[in-house]
Amino acid sequence: MEAIVVNNLTKHFRKAYDKTLKGFFISLVKGEKRHQEFTALNNVSFQVKKGESYAIIGKNGAGKSTLFKVLSGIIYPDSGTVNVHGKVAPLIELGAGLSRDLTGAENIRLNCAIFGLDKKTIEEVYPKIVEFSELEEFIHTPVKFYSSGMKARLGFSIAIHIDADIILIDEVLAVGDKDFKKKCYAKMNELRDSGKTIVIVSHSMKPLRDICDRALILDKGKVVEVGEINEMIDKYQSDKKTKKKKKQKGA
Amino acid sequence: MIANIKKYKELMYFLVHKELRIRYRNSLFGFFWTLLEPLGLMLIYTLVFGYIIQLDKGVSPYPLYVLAGLIPWTFFNNSVRKGTRALSGNASLIKKVYFPREIFPLTMLISNMVNFIPAFALILVLAVVLGHPMQWSELILLPLVILLQALFTLGVALLVSILNVYYRDVEFIINLVMRAWMYMCPIIYPIHMLTGAEVSSTVKDFAGLYFLNPMAVIISLYHQPFFPDQGPEIKYVIYTVILTVVLFLGAWYLFRRMNRRVGEVI
Repeated sequence: MEAIVVNNLTKHFRKAYDKTLKGFFISLVKGEKRHQEFTALNNVSFQVKKGESYAIIGKNGAGKSTLFKVLSGIIYPDSGTVNVHGKVAPLIELGAGLSRDLTGAENIRLNCAIFGLDKKTIEEVYPKIVEFSELEEFIHTPVKFYSSGMKARLGFSIAIHIDADIILIDEVLAVGDKDFKKKCYAKMNELRDSGKTIVIVSHSMKPLRDICDRALILDKGKVVEVGEINEMIDKYQSDKKTKKKKKQKGA
Repeated sequence: MIANIKKYKELMYFLVHKELRIRYRNSLFGFFWTLLEPLGLMLIYTLVFGYIIQLDKGVSPYPLYVLAGLIPWTFFNNSVRKGTRALSGNASLIKKVYFPREIFPLTMLISNMVNFIPAFALILVLAVVLGHPMQWSELILLPLVILLQALFTLGVALLVSILNVYYRDVEFIINLVMRAWMYMCPIIYPIHMLTGAEVSSTVKDFAGLYFLNPMAVIISLYHQPFFPDQGPEIKYVIYTVILTVVLFLGAWYLFRRMNRRVGEVI
């Protein structure tokens, strides 16, 4: 069974979007186009099976984050379809939004509530989240005083405990320390074995080899190739190298 | 919408709770500011408009008249002003995770309502203290008036919150509009001033249009139990109810439509 089915997904962004009424009227009177279009995703299609770990790799600006946002429902595609079967939990940056004055404990409650958990379930998972994040000591400290590593730990703990079917992970993990990273990878393997679907957007290749089954290479908004993880990473890295060589020759 | 509200009950509770706590944090009187603020304004208005400019003709006691109009107005005013920033002020959260965004204007309205209800009780307390007679038959209809105002306010809040995401100018326009709107409502002056002998003919010409302002109708409905001659005609009440429903549905539709691009322009 498929957990995520994406068909012919295309997303344009409007560049230089004028946020004032003045700009809007001026260009309206002049009869010029009010924005430049920029294609972030171009006819992207892929499927992620249920219980699979899937990596989306690509350079900066390849459209990874846009794809991530479309999958989590933050932005709507211009055309094409995205079908997600099951509850999605994106691993979100903590302290984002609302008041940064909220404590770790409040952030846990807030994020759980955002994913639609009821009070009883929140009380149930709360101690587990705190335990996994290893932040017992600082849980009543406002998140604004947290280091980025602490934020990442708490964020990851929340995302894996809200019992979602599909977990989306953007390269937040890069900040945690070695031990915590190890713990995360172990947990991800555990989650995958228990039938959850994991999608990771990343450009740090090493851990992906252990966790993921398949990968998709994205370049300039287009799908380059989809295949087995090691094969894809090798291909991606060799592409990078040849390009570098070409550049050197050109110079 | 109803299904969403049920599902996100916990989130809304959290947001309302947080909003209320933040509002009164670091203040000595805390929640009492909800009551102290309108009382203070009532004193100022009574002094300035009652004694100095003498707008108090025909409504006695004038402080009660001011308070009965001022408290519902404050509810509307705060909700709309805060409503403009309901989405744009939560940009970082909206950019990170998806959940129904109408929750923001809605929780903002609810938290303002939590402030409004005890302040509203203040009107009754003042009426009792002053020994002012009340029309009980109309008093028991006030919850319906509150409901009508809440729906109208939510419609406006939905509209301004989503528009402000696209054009930040809305915030500045709203500040000005709300000031003008207040003077277009019977808060500091009684309505018969518009048709009285001493007003200019221009005012008289436009007096017929006065109750096309739904907030003027709603504020008058709040006056009615205390000042029976200050109530609006029934045709204007029907008009306001219809307008409120149309506005709400229109705002809802527009919110839904414009919501699609919020994630990228915010």
